[in-house]
Amino acid sequence: MASPPAARSGPSPLVPLGYLTCAAVAFVTAAMGIGWLAPDLAGHYYHPRLLALTHTVTLGWITLAIMGASYQLIPIVLERPVWSERLARWQLGILVVAVAGMVAHFYFGTWPGLAAAAGLLTVGVGLHLLNVGQSLRGFTRWTFTARMVMLGYSGLALTTLFGLALATNRVFPFLPGELFPTLHAHVHLALLGWITPMIFGVAARVYPMFLLGPVPGRWSCRLQLWGLVLGVPSVLLGLIGAPAFLVPGALAVATAAGSHAWWVLEVARGRRRPALDWGLRFTLTATVFILPAAILGLSLAADLLSGPRVALAYAVLVIGGWVSLTIVGMMLKIVPFLVWYRAFSPRAGRERVPTLADLSWPWVEGTAYALLTGGVGLLGAAALLGDVAAIHAGAAVLALGALAFALVLIRILGHLSPRFQKTPAALVV
Amino acid sequence: MTVSREQVTEALREVFDPELGLSVVDLGLIYGVEIDADRVRVEMTLTTQGCPLHDSMTEWVRQAVGKVPGVVDVAVALTFEPPWTPDRMGQGVQP
Repeated sequence: MASPPAARSGPSPLVPLGYLTCAAVAFVTAAMGIGWLAPDLAGHYYHPRLLALTHTVTLGWITLAIMGASYQLIPIVLERPVWSERLARWQLGILVVAVAGMVAHFYFGTWPGLAAAAGLLTVGVGLHLLNVGQSLRGFTRWTFTARMVMLGYSGLALTTLFGLALATNRVFPFLPGELFPTLHAHVHLALLGWITPMIFGVAARVYPMFLLGPVPGRWSCRLQLWGLVLGVPSVLLGLIGAPAFLVPGALAVATAAGSHAWWVLEVARGRRRPALDWGLRFTLTATVFILPAAILGLSLAADLLSGPRVALAYAVLVIGGWVSLTIVGMMLKIVPFLVWYRAFSPRAGRERVPTLADLSWPWVEGTAYALLTGGVGLLGAAALLGDVAAIHAGAAVLALGALAFALVLIRILGHLSPRFQKTPAALVV
Repeated sequence: MTVSREQVTEALREVFDPELGLSVVDLGLIYGVEIDADRVRVEMTLTTQGCPLHDSMTEWVRQAVGKVPGVVDVAVALTFEPPWTPDRMGQGVQP
């Protein structure tokens, strides 16, 4: 018999759970804030309060969720142990203070405080990169996932430094060029340089694992990788000062996104998993949002469409639709596992313990699915129209969906307490 | 007491992947079972290398097989060669 390779278990489940819980709080806060800021959302997107909302989503929700998931997934997808759990805990504290500071200072328009919070954020991100870098020291298996994760972390470092420069520029102006192109470049560096490669890379490992599906041809992964490697710098160049690069760059990114969507479809079509749970339904539905988002993005790049209304609708579809619904779906997979692993794994084999399905709450998860997917669609249309009442309606649906999602998480996390560990109906021996 | 392959397989059917809700047998994770009187060796894999259930799953298999009447010693060997693919589902315990 072959001897087992040194597969390593992850850090304490409480580390990623801490990040994911903070991320969920930011998600609910942002979902509530949309209704509050509906009149602002009907106007131009460049408004301090909308920047506060944007950073609640991009930093508080998306970035903390990806970082938390990475502490759980690095040992699985890259087969490396996390270098320092203690550093991961410190880093979370720093990031929570930094994000809260940035959001507050954006909201009230206090720029020196914003620059200080952005500096603290840079420290937190730097510690995360240090932890990941040390975890991957000597790493040699450069799979598609590993390359994408590296691309994503490079994008995170550049986005953070870019953001710090923008925040400092508020106090001591030094950046050349116009404000909006620079701002658009920062947004697209975050979206296409940090978030997108992380989702593409992790999906390549975990979607087939969760769906029990085939791994489609390598050409799709090559298109995703090269589409981003060539497309993202071109888009940034095009936005900052060389407009000729914008459309080719956008086409390359759209090709990468389209290839990813095709890849997910192939995995889903060939799946052997008997039934789709709500987490997987969220994730697959999220992928559908890539199509309208790519059409709007290409139209904006080619100047076929323009203006703040289209830009806002594009942002809702990409960040609220594809990215957020993907994260919600993955959290509905990861959080129950972490809780189960912490609460029940030590007892499995010795006594009867619940399966992960016993920790779920299907009808509330289904309600969250209907409300969040419907709410994003409604909000996207309302943002396009610029109608305050419609934005209020979309925001209300979205907020209810976020609350339903939070209820599911609270119930799952409750299993960490022995008080809630009731005898389950279905059991793992 | 003679330990049969069927008894061991039935015991393994009680070990579930908690995420997928399928037994290690139905998932095709068991690559081989060798029985030598009261000693059993199980060769198995996991759905992915670096699986966080790495230690737990092998322990559950050891305990489940250890409950079969007549079994005195259980050895569980983990291998990732060949790597598991979904095509192995439903193939039961490999000969």
